[in-house]
Amino acid sequence: MGSRQITEKSLAMLRSLPRLSLGNIRDNPGSRKNIKRGRGQHGGDKHGAGNKGSGQRQNYMRLGYETGNNPFYLRMPHEHYYKGHHHRRQYPPISLLEIQKLIDTNRLDITKPIDIASIVRSGLYNFFPDQKHFGIHLTDEGMDIFSAKVNIEVQWASEQVIAAIEKNGGVITTAYYDPHSLILLKNPKSFFQTGQAIPRRMIPPPDVIEYYTSAEMRGYLADPEKISEERLRLSQKYGYQLPILESDKNYNMLCERKDPRQIFYGLEPGWVINLRDKCILKPKDEELLQFYAS
Amino acid sequence: MSFSLINAIRKLNISTVSQIRLISSGSTDVSNINSHSNSDLNVTQKEWKFPPQFTKPREVWIENLDSIDEKKLGLFELHPLVYAVLPRIDIIHRNVIWQRKFRWVSWAHTKTRAEVHGGGRKPWPQKGLGRARHGSIRSPLWRGGGIVHGPRSGKTHFFMLPFHLRIHGLTSTLSAKFAQDDLHVVRNLELPTEDPEYLAELIEKRNWGPSVLIVDDNDYAPRNITVATENLPHVNIIPFYGLNVYSMLKHDTLIITQTAAERIEEKILQHLHSNTMPQQAKFKLNQV
Repeated sequence: MGSRQITEKSLAMLRSLPRLSLGNIRDNPGSRKNIKRGRGQHGGDKHGAGNKGSGQRQNYMRLGYETGNNPFYLRMPHEHYYKGHHHRRQYPPISLLEIQKLIDTNRLDITKPIDIASIVRSGLYNFFPDQKHFGIHLTDEGMDIFSAKVNIEVQWASEQVIAAIEKNGGVITTAYYDPHSLILLKNPKSFFQTGQAIPRRMIPPPDVIEYYTSAEMRGYLADPEKISEERLRLSQKYGYQLPILESDKNYNMLCERKDPRQIFYGLEPGWVINLRDKCILKPKDEELLQFYAS
Repeated sequence: MSFSLINAIRKLNISTVSQIRLISSGSTDVSNINSHSNSDLNVTQKEWKFPPQFTKPREVWIENLDSIDEKKLGLFELHPLVYAVLPRIDIIHRNVIWQRKFRWVSWAHTKTRAEVHGGGRKPWPQKGLGRARHGSIRSPLWRGGGIVHGPRSGKTHFFMLPFHLRIHGLTSTLSAKFAQDDLHVVRNLELPTEDPEYLAELIEKRNWGPSVLIVDDNDYAPRNITVATENLPHVNIIPFYGLNVYSMLKHDTLIITQTAAERIEEKILQHLHSNTMPQQAKFKLNQV
C-alpha cells in the first residue's frame, strides 16, 4: 500500500467511467481456476486409486504390517504417557492481555463481576463443555501491562496471575463448574427458553477438591480469613503494596461472590426464567426449597 | 460554489440549524438554486452511533418529487463507511453471481440407458455375423440411446456468500452508485398526481434512468407513486430491507428516501461494528 487515499482515487476514477451495470463487472483475473476438461465426470482420472497395483486392486495390507516381520510398532514395549488423556479436564486458556483487550474495547463491563458467561458473551472466547472443557485457564501473558481493577472468576489460575490482578486492587476467585452448568453459562438464553428450573451447581470431583479449597489458589470453597492472609503474603512475596479493599468505593461489587451452588449471578437454583412474559418464577414448596438450599 | 460555501460554514463549528439557515439565505448562490422555498433549506449534522473516524462524511442534496423541476430541499450527510468505501468490483461481481445462483434450480434432465424405453433384448448374436458386438439398442453408443453423465433434474446451485462479502457488496455498490451520481436522496415519495406520464417526464427531465429503483423505508409506499409505477416496468419500488446488489446494478438510477438512507446506514453500521459470529457461522437449513 504505497499511496494513500486509494478509496478517494478509485471513487474519483469511477466518476469518469461508464455506469456500473450487470454487463460490465467481472471478477479479478485469475481468481477462478480453469477446470481442465477430460472425458467423464472426473476428467478421465483413476478415481483416486493411483496407478496399478494394490491401490487399484483393493488388496491393501493393514497399516504397519511388514509382511511377516515383527512390526516396528510392536518391537518396543508400550509406555502409557498419555493414558486416559481424553478423559482429563481441559481448561482452554485466555490471557490477561486478551482480558485487557476485551476491557479496552468495551466488550467486558468491569463495573460488574466478571465470570465465564460475560467472557463468552464478548464473542472472542469460546469453549465446548461437551469436549471435556471445564472453563477458563487465565494465563499470565500480558500481566505486566494488565491494569484493570476487576472482580473476576475463572476456573484455573496461576500464582503470578493472582498477583497481577490483586496488585491492581482487584479480586480473583477460582471456581469449579460441572459440564452441565457450563453449558448453561455458555448459552443461557437457549436454556431459559426450555422453561426448566435452574439446577444446582455440582461440587467438584475429589481430585480438584484440594485446589478449590486452597486459599493460595483463591478457591471458592476456601476460608475467607485465610484468603485475606494469603493476599497479604502474596503481596509481600511479589513486593507490591496491597490496595485496601475496605476503603474502595466499589467495595460491594468487589465482594460479590456466587454461592457454591449458584450458577448465574443474581439467579438462584430452582428459579424458572420466563422469557416470554419477562418474569421469574420461584419455588414455594417446602420440599423444593430444601432441595435447592445448599 | 454553494457547496464550498456551506463547507466553509461547517468548518466554523456552527452547530444550530437556524444560524446556517440565516447565513445560507443571505448567500446568492444558494438562493438561486433554491429560489422557491428558501426557508426549507436545512443542513443537518448527524449524530451517528458510530461516527466516521478517518474519513469525512459525504454530503448529498435532498431532492423533491412533488414538481418536475428539481428543487434542493437541503443537505444530507451520508456515512463514508457505507456510501464511500473502496468500490470492489470483484466483490460486486461475486454478489451478483451469488444472487443468480442461490435460487437457481436446474431442471435440465436426460435419460440414462436404463431409463430409455426398450433395449432389454440383445440386438443380434455375439458371434458369427461379422458385426460389432452389442448388448442393447439403448447403449450410449447408439443413436437414440441413453446419455452418459447428462444433466439430472433438480440440481441446486445454492450456496451462501460469506456474510461480510455480502455487506461489502452492498456498500461497494452504494458507493459506486453514489460516485457516479446515480444515487439520489429524496425527502419522501409524495407525488401530486397518480399519472404515469408525470413520473416518466420527471425522470426524463432530471436525466435519471431510464430504469429507476426507488427504495422506501417501509412496505407501504404512498398511493400516487405505486399507481404511477404500476405500468412503468422500468421503475420499481422496494423496501429498504430488500436492497440488494443485483437490483441496484439492474437499474440505472437509485432513488432513496431520506429515512431509508438512514435505515440502510444504521443497519450496515450495526453489522460492521458488532459481533457477527452467528451470521458468519456456516449456513444451516432451518428444518422446522
